[in-house]
Amino acid sequence: MTAVIEVDGLTRRYGSLAAVDDATFTLEGNRIHGLLGRNGAGKTTLMQLLTGQEFASSGTIRVFGQSPVENASVLQHVSFIKESQRYPEDFRPKHVLRSAPWFFENWDADFADRLVDDFRLPLNTRIKKLSRGQLSAIGVIVGLASRAPLTFFDEPYLGLDAVARQTFYDRLLEDYAEHPRTVVLSTHLIDEVANLLEHVLVIDQGRIIIDQDADTLRGSATTVVGTRAAVDAFVAGREILHRDGLGGLATVTVAGLDEKERAEASAAGLELGAVSLQQLIIRMTNVSEKEFEHSA
Amino acid sequence: MTTITLPSPRPITSRLLSVMKLHFANPWTTITLPWIILGTIFAANLAIWALIFMNTPASEHAAIARGFQWSGASLYIFVYMMVVAIQAINVTFPFALGYGVTRRDYYLGTSLQFVLLSVMYAAGLTILAEIEKATNGWGLGGRMFTAAYFGSGLTWYEQFFVFFAMLVFFFFVGAAVAAVFVRWKATGITFFFIALGVAVLAALYLLTLTDSWPAVGRFFETAGWLGSYAWSLIITAISCVVGYLILRRATPRT
Repeated sequence: MTAVIEVDGLTRRYGSLAAVDDATFTLEGNRIHGLLGRNGAGKTTLMQLLTGQEFASSGTIRVFGQSPVENASVLQHVSFIKESQRYPEDFRPKHVLRSAPWFFENWDADFADRLVDDFRLPLNTRIKKLSRGQLSAIGVIVGLASRAPLTFFDEPYLGLDAVARQTFYDRLLEDYAEHPRTVVLSTHLIDEVANLLEHVLVIDQGRIIIDQDADTLRGSATTVVGTRAAVDAFVAGREILHRDGLGGLATVTVAGLDEKERAEASAAGLELGAVSLQQLIIRMTNVSEKEFEHSA
Repeated sequence: MTTITLPSPRPITSRLLSVMKLHFANPWTTITLPWIILGTIFAANLAIWALIFMNTPASEHAAIARGFQWSGASLYIFVYMMVVAIQAINVTFPFALGYGVTRRDYYLGTSLQFVLLSVMYAAGLTILAEIEKATNGWGLGGRMFTAAYFGSGLTWYEQFFVFFAMLVFFFFVGAAVAAVFVRWKATGITFFFIALGVAVLAALYLLTLTDSWPAVGRFFETAGWLGSYAWSLIITAISCVVGYLILRRATPRT
């Protein structure tokens, strides 16, 4: 295993607000990492810190083993087109695509041309006349065609329709298979990207609350469905993430079950179901909010 | 886990060249538009000179031509370069950082670009000034590129130096103002101009109270046209350094 990003005790404060609060994690190379969280959770600030665009209040960041701040060796391997990326106003998309290869040594112009067709990006329209989706398309095209060893996508799909979003996911996976690299994808459309992700970081109110393999995470919770009495008997003493009920039926999400426990549940006439990544994260962020309220 | 060892970065010349090219990716703002506007002003001036020339007796033409030397028409190009610098930095800084450029490389490359643009514009203006001299003011006694404040009795290379010094002055003052804006946005600009206003007023008071105006006059007299413009390079250099110190801690915001 090779660590591409190592973060220790990282905090970024704006006045009294900690946009990133004591984050510690490691991201392995040649994987697709999901940086998930609600709007305003600190995703963009964290990525700006990792790319040297923002300065840490405390803590350390190592990208390819070195601090990214003002470090040309590190940054020339990094592509980070923000969701809110500003382009020179007098630019047209063709100027963006013309200038990108000057900065990314792995730039693939043919790939970029194909993506332009895929996303139907008009090359000769002024940037400020582009729609939100077309702006996002530029970011996606630059992010993919740059083939930077470390590529950040910050909410890359804003304004893209479902077809274009699927195109992005497909192209990302295809190209990643051929040209392995480290991808950090920030999003709050968790279910759409769930199958892409190999590792998940969830940030909430600046704190990293989940840092896990996507597979482990998916197996970390199960829904138990059955009659209220049977469900209550089975989940007694377990960590309950969520509870729903209708009449005499109950649906409870509990922390992961092993084989023996699954057999017990079946024997008790209960149905077990998978929990989607999105539901899981929503529930875990709720829990953390409650914990936060209790501690406050 | 092990950590990757990085290859050494691309040579700095190549990195700076990329930043310089970025400013030329769309030459409209930095090259095309200024020449179009300058050309338009020149055409308008020609028309006015011709109008005056045709409607005044020949005996007065020499006196009128002396008046033309105070034309402010081409001053525009210098002030406009400050606008170009501010715009260029404001729009390309967040963009270049997304491309993985360090602030240092960005500022160095941008500064080289400004120097290059100054050389280009100074060369153009010098050629126009020489033509203006050779044709006795485009045949109309007009003065736009040989206005009084560009010095008199200068050789072409001295003329070139005057234009160059003025251009880099406005480019780098613009770069410093842009750095203030990029880092602190409108609030920063407001405080910057308040501070600048106070500083200028304070200097005027100080010079007046200490009866130093004659000394100021003597300074420029001794320095001469070339010397005075050479002194401006000090302010230019200070602006350049201050711009970097400010931009070095700036973050791209929306």
